[in-house]
Amino acid sequence: MTNWRKFLRDRWRYFDAALALAVIIGSLVYIYDLLVGSRGLDVAYITRNYPLYLHAVFTNVYATTIAFVVGMALGFSVGWLRTARTVSVAKFAASMRVEKRERQEAPSGSEVTRRLLVVLSLLWYGTKYVVRRIGDGFVEIIRGTPLYVQILFASSFFIVFLPQYASEGILIGIIALAINTGGYQAEIFRAGLQTVHSGQVEAARAIGFSRLKAMRYVILPQALRLIIPPLTNEYIGLFKASTFLFVLGVQSEISYIAQHEGFAGDVFEIFAIVTVIFLAITVTLSFVVQALERRFRIPGLGIEQVKLPRGVRIARVGG
Amino acid sequence: MIRVEDIQKHFGALHVLRGITFDVQKAEAIVIIGPSGSGKSTLLRCINLLVEPDSGKVFIDGVHVNRHGIRHEWVRQQVGMVFQSFNLFTHLTAIENVTLGLTRVKGIPHDQAIEKARKLLARVGLAAKENAYPAELSGGQQQRVAIARALAMDPKAMLFDEPTSALDPEYIREVLDVMAALAREGMTMIVVTHEMGFASNVASRILFMDAGKIIEEGTAEDIFQNPKEDRTRSFVSKILR
Ligand SMILES: Nc1ncnc2c1ncn2[C@@H]1O[C@H](COP(=O)(O)OP(=O)(O)O)[C@@H](O)[C@H]1O
Ligand SMILES: [Mg+2]
Repeated sequence: MTNWRKFLRDRWRYFDAALALAVIIGSLVYIYDLLVGSRGLDVAYITRNYPLYLHAVFTNVYATTIAFVVGMALGFSVGWLRTARTVSVAKFAASMRVEKRERQEAPSGSEVTRRLLVVLSLLWYGTKYVVRRIGDGFVEIIRGTPLYVQILFASSFFIVFLPQYASEGILIGIIALAINTGGYQAEIFRAGLQTVHSGQVEAARAIGFSRLKAMRYVILPQALRLIIPPLTNEYIGLFKASTFLFVLGVQSEISYIAQHEGFAGDVFEIFAIVTVIFLAITVTLSFVVQALERRFRIPGLGIEQVKLPRGVRIARVGG
Repeated sequence: MIRVEDIQKHFGALHVLRGITFDVQKAEAIVIIGPSGSGKSTLLRCINLLVEPDSGKVFIDGVHVNRHGIRHEWVRQQVGMVFQSFNLFTHLTAIENVTLGLTRVKGIPHDQAIEKARKLLARVGLAAKENAYPAELSGGQQQRVAIARALAMDPKAMLFDEPTSALDPEYIREVLDVMAALAREGMTMIVVTHEMGFASNVASRILFMDAGKIIEEGTAEDIFQNPKEDRTRSFVSKILR
């Protein structure tokens, strides 16, 4: 009696995974029954066409990965920018007033250097303010418009301004995806950077780190650990969204099949091939990421491991 | 060793430091007390330029440091700082916390840095904990690692900003002991603390600050037993209870 409980407790992870798998397989079987039913699976179709689909999906993996990495550089820069403190016009004016009053109470320094300082600080804070607002605008535009529209926009941009590249669907696609994921990753990075406690930077600065080095050796290592899960989500989302690139003629194999063989009779087979490939990639990725998270977990922080506490009883229905 | 001359500091319209002047001799330990919000932390931060004073001068070992042409990073290596909330790097072990500045700021080779860090951890009584992460250490242990981390940079002076006020009572002693030993060995120190015992036994002078000014200065006896100013008297009576 207690034996199977112990068994269940120790092996819970596997039951968990098995359950998830059962749900996936169950849904597939149900759909299979709906779509294929008695006509039988067209095995020949699958063996004939799966390399094409595989190739099409790997084009997506390739485009997604490059776009993701480029987007990461963009996202980090914009995200970092968005953590910069800007001084509001009102606050700036207030400190100018204080400065003026004090100067009248106790004049010090020459008038010229004072004016110069005012102009310089106005320039510095002004530039910061404007650059920061550009970053804000970028994020809002990317988040606020559909990816599909962004891809079409990129495509028309190329047609108008760089017609010699207008037929490079994959290039345009990668650029559009990179800018898109850059906007989303900016938010992920901003959140990650802001979650690292300000005392950490202060401690680094206090032993002589420059801003850049404090970012590199103290903030980023902590922020990156925090943002592994949302970055993974973003990658998977981008990967799936990359199917939109068909409008640029990127997965031309699939359009080819659609024209020459027709989709209608083999909907399930197509569905099955694509599902299996996508799932294989995303599930592998999430295992890799879980391993990464375990590897980089900071001892003593957060929840150690998902374990059923001792003595937890599985509720019995009606018991 | 440290001299501040007529320091002024505003945060926006808030006037936090209103003309602070004092001297700390080499190997002297002074204690600063004063009510919350009186500007004690800001004053310490002005000394290692984590906060830039609006006006006034800061001298460290005879060098005027808050002027153009002096790198703040260099100044901060001259003065170690220990914070109320420890601020250990959470992603690094105790020994890595100590070596990070050595390898990445001073450019000391890794094995030499390790050797030095081991000595410092032993000095603060934590030789056995070098591979523990901050979250695995008690508050007192974390603060002692933080002291070792600051000492690793071979500072000429140390600033302590309420180093024990975030600690559970049972851990206060061990941190104060490390600080007292440091003072005996001749470290120049400025300590913001309300630990009366430490102030009486270790400090050569006590400064009482209120509302951005130094109101009174004297030995522990002067300040605690015979305060001259009303504000000092009322503050001391509150913390002596
Ligand atoms: N970075 C800052 N920005 C704005 N106000 C600040 C900042 N740091 C401190 N202050 C304000 O300055 C005053 C003095 O603070 P502080 O030096 O921390 O006092 P203490 O350490 O004596 O409690 C407080 O009113 C505090 O709110
Ligand atoms: Mg304080």
